[in-house]
Amino acid sequence: MIEQFLVVMVTLVCAPLVGGLLFGIDRKITARMQGRFGPPVIQPFYDFFKLLGKEHIAVSKLQFVWIYGYLVFMIVSLLFLFMKSDFLLLVFLLGFASVSLVLGGFSTKSPYAHFGANRELMQILAYEPILLLLAIGIYAQNGSFLISEIFKQEKPLLFTLWPLFLAVLYVLTIKMRKSPFDIATSHHGHQEIVKGVTTEYSGPYFALFHLAEWYEIILLLGIIALFWTNPLWVGILIALAAFILELFIDNIAARMTVGWMVRLSWSVGLILGILNIAYIYYTKGVS
Amino acid sequence: MMAIAILLPVAAGILILAVRNYYARGAVVILTSLILIANSVFFAIKGPFTYTPGGFNWGLLITILDYGILIFYLYIGFSLRNWLVLIFAATQIIPLAYFEFLMKANIQVTPAFVVDHLALVMTLIISIIGSLICIYAIRYMYDHEHHLHLEKSKQSRFLFWLVLFLGAMNGLVFANNLVWLYFFWEVTTLCSFQLISHDRTQEAVHNAARAVWMNSTGGTAFILAIIYLYATQGGSAALSVQNLIGGGIQASVILLPIALLCYTGFTKAAQMPFQSWLLGAMVAPTPVSALLHSSTMVKAGVYLVLRLAPVYAGTYLSIIIAIAGAFTFFATSALAVSQSTGKRVLAYSTIANLGLIIACAGINTPLSIAAAILLIIFHAISKGLLFLCVGTIEHQIWSRDIEDMEGLAAKAPLTTIITAVGILSMFLPPFGMLIGKWIAIEAAYTVPLAAVFFVLASTLTIVFWTKWLGRLLQVLPKIQQPFEKLSPSYSVPLWTLLIGIFVVGIGIGPIYQNFLLAATNNVVSGNQIFALGLNNLILTSASLLQRDILGLFPVWPLYLVLIIALLMPLLLIGLKPTELRQVYMCGEQTGGTDTDEWLAEADKKTRFQLGGYYYQNALGEKRVNPWANTIAILLLAIMIGCGVIVI
Repeated sequence: MIEQFLVVMVTLVCAPLVGGLLFGIDRKITARMQGRFGPPVIQPFYDFFKLLGKEHIAVSKLQFVWIYGYLVFMIVSLLFLFMKSDFLLLVFLLGFASVSLVLGGFSTKSPYAHFGANRELMQILAYEPILLLLAIGIYAQNGSFLISEIFKQEKPLLFTLWPLFLAVLYVLTIKMRKSPFDIATSHHGHQEIVKGVTTEYSGPYFALFHLAEWYEIILLLGIIALFWTNPLWVGILIALAAFILELFIDNIAARMTVGWMVRLSWSVGLILGILNIAYIYYTKGVS
Repeated sequence: MMAIAILLPVAAGILILAVRNYYARGAVVILTSLILIANSVFFAIKGPFTYTPGGFNWGLLITILDYGILIFYLYIGFSLRNWLVLIFAATQIIPLAYFEFLMKANIQVTPAFVVDHLALVMTLIISIIGSLICIYAIRYMYDHEHHLHLEKSKQSRFLFWLVLFLGAMNGLVFANNLVWLYFFWEVTTLCSFQLISHDRTQEAVHNAARAVWMNSTGGTAFILAIIYLYATQGGSAALSVQNLIGGGIQASVILLPIALLCYTGFTKAAQMPFQSWLLGAMVAPTPVSALLHSSTMVKAGVYLVLRLAPVYAGTYLSIIIAIAGAFTFFATSALAVSQSTGKRVLAYSTIANLGLIIACAGINTPLSIAAAILLIIFHAISKGLLFLCVGTIEHQIWSRDIEDMEGLAAKAPLTTIITAVGILSMFLPPFGMLIGKWIAIEAAYTVPLAAVFFVLASTLTIVFWTKWLGRLLQVLPKIQQPFEKLSPSYSVPLWTLLIGIFVVGIGIGPIYQNFLLAATNNVVSGNQIFALGLNNLILTSASLLQRDILGLFPVWPLYLVLIIALLMPLLLIGLKPTELRQVYMCGEQTGGTDTDEWLAEADKKTRFQLGGYYYQNALGEKRVNPWANTIAILLLAIMIGCGVIVI
């Protein structure tokens, strides 16, 4: 019980610290790739506290509700990961968080927020099936959706689930809002329709959005680390490598259209996932 | 007791026909509803039992009424010049006459009614949710006729068929005799015809006729299955449902009639390619849709398929049923994305969820059967609520179009909140529908193709619900809205169902342990009452479902999260008028926060309008239907083929 309480506390406090730092590193590396000096690594924290001190303004009360929904469900998803709970339910909870963000965009009568929200919804359409297929892949391999089961296995998931690993890298690009998939909103000054789904958020509520993103990046990298849990440090290294890889992709790619993203994900991504599961099913049978 | 469940609605219906006063009629409906609810709760407490009515030749009465209904179909076929109705009425009446007069069939089956835990679950759904919808209909039909400016009121007629429907459904889930089951099956088809065609517009009558002929093909398959069973398995014992599912007959011998009965279930549950009758049924007044979709009619279809699950367990038929159901789940979820009418989105979502339930029956493991029962319950509550919400919205804005619901949060905040919770409960954790889906996906791994369809469909589900919810909640900057007033005939069913979502959702663990586990065991083990005796069996087979699926994770903390995430910000965070700002329009607005005008070309004041995306080119009916229907027909053909070539 005490151990669980500690996990919760550590997650709540440390995850955003590491997440914010990662975003700082992101900005630094991106700047260097573009021949700039870049902001200090702890710039995201400066930004965060600056935003917190800004005036409370809003265009609709529902905005607050959904941004809290986004943050809280993101944290709960992350807790599911760190408490080694059910992976499938984690994906569904992450889905609730994403839906909250979309509804936050929809809850104002702002054309730009609506553009962003519709695009965010299409992003969900693109990545959600891959995450769910990953859950089924894990079930196929371990006979359980429990993350604690993954940790009990000697053999890393990466050996059997590598096609799904490739598909999840694709999800990572979408979720990190990196080119070519920074479609709903993006971090750096890419081509942008105002600020996409977050257009109408400002001040402290925009800070909450950033906070949620810090939790999210830890969650995503955590999911990637699940592919190599024994020993875990290999998995963490893989996750960090994937993170750096995303930065490269971001800087060499241009933003693509929504339709292209969904088509690519529903063709290549799904085929990778389905073939992967079919292979395990026919070699291992029903566990 | 049995008489109350089945005959009381008939008697009350006749009384309602006689009463012409609005208040007196409402009182009769409410009283009937309360008695039905009390009776079903009493059944549930009392537990399983069997019953054979005596003292009167009920079999003869049912035979006469059977012919009455079929002759009525012939009549409507003639009067509407609808040859399909005519043909499929004939294909029922001729075999039925052959069966009863030429084969001189003895159709006595004892016990006539078997009430096991599955039937108890069904009767609770029918009696409670169905009754709430009837109460809702009292006021709804009054407003409906007021809006249409009808001179002659048809409310009595409407309520008569509505209440009769509940009796027929109760009979359907209790019946053990296949011939009686067929009779109740036909009564539900008849009720749906009367209710769909209620407004007597050309479209309504046309769509009602389509519902009849499509369900009549199912009825024909039902009759053929009865004749086949009777002829090959020797006599009336083969007509007992309990004997059929109890393993009394070797499954491979009777796979063809079972496939036919599953086909019948598919037609009634509006599975692809039969989805068009349920979509057409949307022309009816909304309480009809609520009733057809949540507690009656389509649930009869999934009930039959689920009931027969132990017979086809382990056969290829089972796998095909799983794949066909999962395919319907996927295809109709995709179609729902392209719909802009609220009721059509709901209809496609119903068909999709029924597909999911049928797929669970086809997967046919204890886990998937448990998922199917959970989904039946949660779907009935949430979908019933959503249809009633759409009806309420319709009577506030007089439109069913999702685009017209834009900014409803400002016009009718209470209805909007209830609708929003209803929509959230359809596709997000921690609500019951999602818990059911979660278990279903876990169970689906034994049929991987079904699992893949589940994954794709549940993603599409997120898209169309979120889209709709987004249109509903979109508002101009406002501080506070007073709640609108609703007639108690509206608000009581709405609140009851809303509370039901939370009570059943939070209490899912104990409810499952104490009640649904037994129902699951009933289905999985096929009861086998003839060998063991009903009560014995329920005690002994309780250990059958070893895996404690819901003990795995307590659901209630997630409801706590829901409160922290959404309810508390909604209630606690205030917004002062000084904190309100306009939305960003590049500085081209004309006024303050309460206007949505901006300066368009040549500085002309223009109201800006937003619309939803419906992806017609990718997912429109014209684009998807030809493919999806072809695949669905192929799957159906394979399904029947599995029965013919016994493998």
